[in-house]
Amino acid sequence: MGQFESFIGVNFWTALFTLLNFLALFFVARHYLIGPVMQLIQARQKEIDDMYANADAAQTEAAALQAEYQLKLDDAQATSERIVKEAVARGQAREEEILRQAKAEADAIREKASADIAMEKKKAVNDAKDEISVIAVAIAGKVVGRELQADDHARLVDKFIDELGDDV
Amino acid sequence: MNVNVTGPYIYFEIPIFGGIPITQTTVSSFLLTAVLCLLCVCLGRHLQKRPGAVQVLVEKGVGMMHGMVVDTMGAHNAHWTPFIIVLFVSSICGSLIGMTGFLRSTTADLSTTLTWSIMVSVLIWYNNIKNNGFVGWLKGFTEPIVVMTPMNIISEIAQPISMAFRHFGNVAGGGVITSILYTALATLSALVLNLIAASGVAVGIALTAAGIGLLILGLKKKNLILYVIAATCGILGILGILQAGNVLSGVPIFQFGIPAVLSIYFDVFSGFVQALVFSLLSMVYIATACPAPEEA
Repeated sequence: MGQFESFIGVNFWTALFTLLNFLALFFVARHYLIGPVMQLIQARQKEIDDMYANADAAQTEAAALQAEYQLKLDDAQATSERIVKEAVARGQAREEEILRQAKAEADAIREKASADIAMEKKKAVNDAKDEISVIAVAIAGKVVGRELQADDHARLVDKFIDELGDDV
Repeated sequence: MNVNVTGPYIYFEIPIFGGIPITQTTVSSFLLTAVLCLLCVCLGRHLQKRPGAVQVLVEKGVGMMHGMVVDTMGAHNAHWTPFIIVLFVSSICGSLIGMTGFLRSTTADLSTTLTWSIMVSVLIWYNNIKNNGFVGWLKGFTEPIVVMTPMNIISEIAQPISMAFRHFGNVAGGGVITSILYTALATLSALVLNLIAASGVAVGIALTAAGIGLLILGLKKKNLILYVIAATCGILGILGILQAGNVLSGVPIFQFGIPAVLSIYFDVFSGFVQALVFSLLSMVYIATACPAPEEA
């Protein structure tokens, strides 16, 4: 039968058609399927890489922020402690100051009071002496029956009272 | 019975340029190209960033081949992926198309495989000259020593021929073995059937009866071996009766089922392996012609 090609043989036209078919399939496949698919895969891969990079960056940033805030918190705590301590110290100082002032004032008042008292006492004693001398002169006058020279006798009475001492 | 080993059938000749023969290979090749092109266009039409099931499969396939190319040829040769994919797919589909029964495998024709291998060789030479210069390419033949030059030239010529013949031989040889097997099985069927028929209708009836009896026995004892013997006896008996009545004459009963096992090997497995070998060798040869650019 002449209708068959030989089993082990090369036909130029078949080879040419094969080549053309291959080239056609190659360009169609590359243009319509493989190229777009590979681009898509690469785009997706890039997106994923970007996402991971972003996530890593965010994590680093968050850690940095956390450290920063921790630092700030510690700082704030230290500041507050210092302020409280200062306030307490100031308060104590103020307290002592007030106490000291109060004491001083109290001392002053007491001193003034004692001075007043002493003066009043002296005044009272003097008044009493005067009263007593008047009374004594009157009594003595009555006893003696005559009017004593008031001034002279007043001096006498005073002397007398002074001799009596402060017991009166 | 004879086994006829022929090349592809010539349907007709276009009467120009001294006659262009349209063979089975040509038809298969054009059909395959058309189908694959259509498939490519259809599959590549609505690519989305969030893929559907089909797109996942396509991406998986392309990604796998891309990975293979990068592994074999290096990342700088990744742009060869489409070429290798088309080579691989053309080869495997060209081999598998023979399983349709009415189309001949394109790779069972030396014209196809030789075209591909020479195409690969031309690409290798082109890239070699592009990368090393014409003088550098010629100088490559004298390495490692000048005495090796003839051997190097022979190996350069032998390379596409060996690739072409390896692929062609495997696919075409598988086809030849399959056709031999079909013939052998037809002969065997005729032999067995004639043997039963020659013994007369009585033997057939007796075998059928024995088969039924054994089947009942097997059902009672639940013995697998008895089932098998019973089935064999029964089928042979029935076939014998039919053959005696001239119903089955010439029907090659053994051609049912048995060739499928060999077809799995010679068509599917061999087709796949040869496609893989062909593309792997192409990758390796092209990679040697396209070495990695010097890191500055």
